[in-house]
Amino acid sequence: MDYARSETLAIKILVAGGFGVGKTTLVSSVSEIQPLHTEELLSDRGAAVDDTSGVEMKMTTTVALDFGRITLREGLWIYLFGTPGQDRFWFMWDELSIGALGAIVIADTRRLGDAFPAVDYFEQRRIPFVVTVNCFDGARVHSVEAVRRALALSPHVPVLLSDVRVRESVKESLVTLVRHAREHAPV
Amino acid sequence: MGAEEDPGPLVRMYAVTGGRARPAGEAFDVVAVVTTLGMPYDPVGWTPEHLTVLRMCVRPATVADIGVQLRLPLNITRVLLSDLRREGLVTIDRPAASPAAMNERIYQEVLNGLRAL
Repeated sequence: MDYARSETLAIKILVAGGFGVGKTTLVSSVSEIQPLHTEELLSDRGAAVDDTSGVEMKMTTTVALDFGRITLREGLWIYLFGTPGQDRFWFMWDELSIGALGAIVIADTRRLGDAFPAVDYFEQRRIPFVVTVNCFDGARVHSVEAVRRALALSPHVPVLLSDVRVRESVKESLVTLVRHAREHAPV
Repeated sequence: MGAEEDPGPLVRMYAVTGGRARPAGEAFDVVAVVTTLGMPYDPVGWTPEHLTVLRMCVRPATVADIGVQLRLPLNITRVLLSDLRREGLVTIDRPAASPAAMNERIYQEVLNGLRAL
């Protein structure tokens, strides 16, 4: 183990939720850079196609991947990845979630059900997550307990009310997630 | 630049990797940290993209940031990085910063850093 280099660490946090719920907005609120855009190329025959000949999967589609970065110090970064919204890109979640510290699931009070797939996903894989209920102007404010019941969350999952446009609010979600991940870290 | 027809971005990407779609060797994460170990003695055979990576990663950078800098998709970026690793020009830290890689001191550092933002 190289101790000097082990001090360099990039922590991956996923931001999930239904389409248009504010994933990119949340990332922008805390990222030191404009959310960056990158892509994966996909095979039109599906991701499982293997290529043993050295030649060529046919890749025709791209999946957009947006992420932001927070530098805590030289060599210690947090990367926030917005997960692709469409169901057919679940396999991208699989890749992104390997080694992730945890996830923030954004719920919209008008469409709480949109948060179900993400909640299920992280629960099944035992990835620590918090639910943040985006309460922007005019939105009906559910009580935390009502949201917890509606999403059938385990008692230990933190639920916050927040405004993903507001930096302090997003910071609070991140701090809550990191503390939650620490409590549930593998020993 | 002439007015030739653009062969399309996919063609350009495959030109960069010599047609390869998959990186060689051990898989690495989108936030794996890449660090340059040295420059090639002979730049012939390396693409401008390879050399860009080597210049960029004198200061350690993640795969995601490198992809953005190169304006190439992550899978293509990974192919280039695996070339450089094979020749011993970069190290690619593995695995991702999994929860298991965290310790109490780093958790505390992260929490303090977030609160100070």
